[in-house]
Amino acid sequence: MIKEFLKYLFQFVVLILAQLAVFKNIEFSGYINPYVYVLFILLLPFYIPRIVLLISAFTLGLVMDLFMGTPGVHSTATVLMAFSRPFVLALFSPREGYQTGTLPRLSEFGLEWFVKYTIILVFLHHFTLFYLEVFTLDYFFSTFFRALLSMMLTSLIIIISQFFVFRQ
Amino acid sequence: MKNLLRFIFRHHFLILFLLIESFSLFLLFSANPYQKVLFYTLSHQVSGRLSTRIENFKDYLSLHNENHKLAEENARLYNRLRSSFRLNTPDSAPVIDTLYSRRYLYLTARVINNTVNKQFNYITLDRGSSSGIEPDMAVINSDGIVGIVKSVSGNYSGVLSVLNRGFTVSGKIRKNGYYGPVSWSGKNTGFATLIDIPHHVAIAKGDTIVTSGFGGVFPEGYLIGIIEDFRLKGGNYYEINVRLSNDFRKLSYVQVIKNITRQEIDSLETRVAQ
Repeated sequence: MIKEFLKYLFQFVVLILAQLAVFKNIEFSGYINPYVYVLFILLLPFYIPRIVLLISAFTLGLVMDLFMGTPGVHSTATVLMAFSRPFVLALFSPREGYQTGTLPRLSEFGLEWFVKYTIILVFLHHFTLFYLEVFTLDYFFSTFFRALLSMMLTSLIIIISQFFVFRQ
Repeated sequence: MKNLLRFIFRHHFLILFLLIESFSLFLLFSANPYQKVLFYTLSHQVSGRLSTRIENFKDYLSLHNENHKLAEENARLYNRLRSSFRLNTPDSAPVIDTLYSRRYLYLTARVINNTVNKQFNYITLDRGSSSGIEPDMAVINSDGIVGIVKSVSGNYSGVLSVLNRGFTVSGKIRKNGYYGPVSWSGKNTGFATLIDIPHHVAIAKGDTIVTSGFGGVFPEGYLIGIIEDFRLKGGNYYEINVRLSNDFRKLSYVQVIKNITRQEIDSLETRVAQ
């Protein structure tokens, strides 16, 4: 139990540091910005108590907000993403359900499952985030494209990272 | 009561979600300017240390460019020293000059955090009120204008970047002096927009846009950028696309400008307006 907790705490810290030191600097004329730190929510175990899921997502968002200086923007997006996660998981559940002891990993459920799971949740997170950040519908389409392209880049980075970090 | 408890138990996930989400939205919406400044201050204190480390490392990678820039700037400043001029009138007595008094004071600072990829970008500097930095000071570097100080904590300060939808500076066309507000359109980090230039003014691609000195924040004559293209908007005024002279992705050392006469100008202007 403690070991599990420490493992996820480690992921939490590493992903935040990676976001601040590496992914924050990726942008094409300010148009595309990947927010790869959401991988933390994707990787949490299937049967994590839902309360813990929401609270850890909120903490993740709040820490990000503190570093980015944007009160409430990241935390709103991560909490919404965490809330939708059980429904997305149920949507793509295999016929016999998720076995205890398995984790939401590319290596266990295959590329197609992982891509669908990642894209839907990252989509939710990024669209919430980008529209809250701009805070107006005036630039609806330019924000839409920024969110869409960033979503693609984030998903791509997340999926590629799975081949390197969690290969069996 | 029992039913209520059962309801809460059954929907605890939804209820908790709504609670946390509304707290997040509360943070987002309730932030009035004062609370926002508080949040930025807190945010600087939290992220300041980490960002300093990351920037320390990045500084090593850009040492070559920085040295080159500093050397150029040194040369430029040496050229303005009195010792690099020769007195042409042979027998004049030195005069203590009371015609001029200091108006602007320059402080140096280092950028320790900077974003360019949002609609509202901010820059964090490693100097704060303990070094004499106050809100509403102008920030420049050798390439042109950078932003305006917005909030200050003890050792760090937050700067409203030019690349922020809330940023406006009065700019003028250097060759003929026509001025108008310059602001960022939020689309491209390399360009800003100058408006309110009447259609009879002769402008051309490549004309230089500098600060006009109005508003009392930026001194006159600092480079903003050059005209990239322009079009008439509504028939009477040009909307000019300005290529910014600064590359905001590469900021590292900046100068913060204190306008010593600003308070006097401000209080005079408020009295006039009454």
